[in-house]
Amino acid sequence: MLSLVSRRVRNSLVLLVLATLLCFTLVVSAPGNIAVLIAELRSPNASFADIQKIEEELGLNDPIPVRYAGWLTGALTGNLGISYKTGEEVGPALASRIPVTAMLVAGGGTVALLLSLVFGFAGAMWPRHWPDVAGRGVALLGASMPSFFVGALLIYAFAVELRLVPTFGLAGPSSWILPWITIGLLPAAVLSRVVRVGLEEAMARPFALTAVAKGLNRRAILFRDALPNIAPTYINALGAQTGVMVVGAVVVEPLFAWHGVGDLFLTGIRFRDFMVVQACLLIFISFFILLNLLVDIGMIFTDPKLRRQGS
Amino acid sequence: MSTSSPILTVRDLCIDLFTARSALRPVDQVSYSVAAGETLAIVGESGSGKTVLNFAPLGLMPLGVSIHVSGSIRFDDKELVGMNDEALRKLRGGSIGVIFQDPMSALNPARTIRRQIAEVAELHLSLTSTQAEARALDLLKMVRMSDPEARLRQYPHELSGGLRQRVMIAIAIAAEPKLLIADEPTTALDVTVQAQIISLLKDLQKRLNMAMVLITHDMGVVAGIASRLAVMYAGRVMEYGPVQTVLTAPRHPYTMGLIDAIPRAEDLPGSAFRGLPGMPPVLGPPIPGCAFVERCRHAVATCETTRPLLAPTADRHVLAACPIVNRSSEALHAG
Ligand SMILES: Nc1ncnc2c1ncn2[C@@H]1O[C@H](COP(=O)(O)OP(=O)(O)OP(=O)(O)O)[C@@H](O)[C@H]1O
Ligand code: SF4
Ligand SMILES: [Mg+2]
Repeated sequence: MLSLVSRRVRNSLVLLVLATLLCFTLVVSAPGNIAVLIAELRSPNASFADIQKIEEELGLNDPIPVRYAGWLTGALTGNLGISYKTGEEVGPALASRIPVTAMLVAGGGTVALLLSLVFGFAGAMWPRHWPDVAGRGVALLGASMPSFFVGALLIYAFAVELRLVPTFGLAGPSSWILPWITIGLLPAAVLSRVVRVGLEEAMARPFALTAVAKGLNRRAILFRDALPNIAPTYINALGAQTGVMVVGAVVVEPLFAWHGVGDLFLTGIRFRDFMVVQACLLIFISFFILLNLLVDIGMIFTDPKLRRQGS
Repeated sequence: MSTSSPILTVRDLCIDLFTARSALRPVDQVSYSVAAGETLAIVGESGSGKTVLNFAPLGLMPLGVSIHVSGSIRFDDKELVGMNDEALRKLRGGSIGVIFQDPMSALNPARTIRRQIAEVAELHLSLTSTQAEARALDLLKMVRMSDPEARLRQYPHELSGGLRQRVMIAIAIAAEPKLLIADEPTTALDVTVQAQIISLLKDLQKRLNMAMVLITHDMGVVAGIASRLAVMYAGRVMEYGPVQTVLTAPRHPYTMGLIDAIPRAEDLPGSAFRGLPGMPPVLGPPIPGCAFVERCRHAVATCETTRPLLAPTADRHVLAACPIVNRSSEALHAG
């Protein structure tokens, strides 16, 4: 098992290096000249010589491998360059935004986790009864509406009409609810089907008949026999849906005026702010690689066949 | 032939089976009984209804099949036909233990052997999980598992077929059942392992004084372990009686054919297989006459129309459902 885990970790590290190369390529090939920008920021009427001096300072004339090494050490210490648009350092701006996005995705993930387990399990427990039908309905709804539409609908109903929660912003628990539901509904829909269908398939397998022969009731069989068998599939799907939520943050954060990484990324793209875009991409890609690693390890731990390999 | 009164008595059991596509009667007026410490073997070709007969009344049918049961099954002074689900559930795994044919798929791949055995003791013997896990260890010793402590921590995929079947047996006897039903427990196993499993079952049955119903294809197994034999054909019992008598002097043409088909030592290598000619009938609505008529060389016209009932033969311990062969006794049978 350990060897399996360490192999996955090694693969992830390789991917991470490739990801940094990709982001660096973006920096190198960025149009426009950062030196011009910085020179203009320093003094409105900078001369050609000034610009050349800054180019020298920034190492823009160094050979590519040297520039990559410099960029990488910078990135590792949180120095991700300077925004073309604002002239601010990208690193600190990003650092202040990561917790916002993390909170959005973690909250949405919790919503998805709870809803999917409750509805998926209830549906399998009482097939074709009201929890099953309701679960399918919500799943269909969640899967067929884009998140900006869900968000707009929720804002209209709960913030504008009922005035239960703020329409936007990030101020205390009441302002968290709508964004969490908005971002978590689609994953909840997908995952509840994963649970529902997975449990049903497990219940049709011969070991479920053995469980019946033991005298266990249906609830116990679903919990003890069926659930452990869908764990690897569920973890896999949960990982994929977490990815979906990170992408969804790009839409949901601006909708609720949450200043997260998604919102920063969108602004960066709109203003062709390459330094911001590459920094966001670096964060996103690193997160996806980490997520994949966690999913792999989760699957190794929940699948007895994988767990025993190489130990 | 057994002295004690039977713990399981099946009378005129009929089971109709309905799926999305078909309706059929795989069990048709079946009667038999088993006493504590006794083994009844049920033999019959594939599809003759052995599994449905034993498992459907216990609520052990795969999903998507609905059944209708009529007749009577008295077990331990309780009537099982029409019993409510909850009462039936308490019997399953408690006073009735069950072993399935395929040990490779009958165990849960995602759970340890320890939990899969222990939960039965928790449920039916009201043990705490620590006590139940200690009992799981005892049970693995009872089913003669080597290195039982290590086995408890393992998962099914780490065990061979024979070991998995031992685990299945441990699960079945965990609550010391009064009746053990084993559905072809050795069919899926290697020949060498088959004999070990059969002798294990025999020993456990003695030790726990269980009644046992053993479904099998193997006449060798029947002779070694069972005291009584029921021969099934197309959902009906064709012959029923003490094993030795039925095997040496069958009274029903179908049984005669079955026994004749067993390979013998004096068979020349490559000699023709002496099977019964023809195929068993496709099950559907109840057959009006004798189900065996199409393959029977003793058949007469009335066999097509009148259903022969299980009736005592010249040896009154043996019942056979063939009035033609048993009408005027020995002369016909000898042929
Ligand atoms: N799940 C099912 N769905 C539909 N028909 C079934 C099902 N199980 C059994 N049957 C039908 O019931 C009849 C009896 O089947 P059963 O499994 O009891 O036979 P069997 O004697 O146990 O055969 P085998 O020796 O192959 O196990 C068969 O003809 C089969 O077609
Ligand atoms: S009743 Fe007729 S068909 Fe059936 S076994 Fe006897 S002789 Fe053969
Ligand atoms: Mg069978």
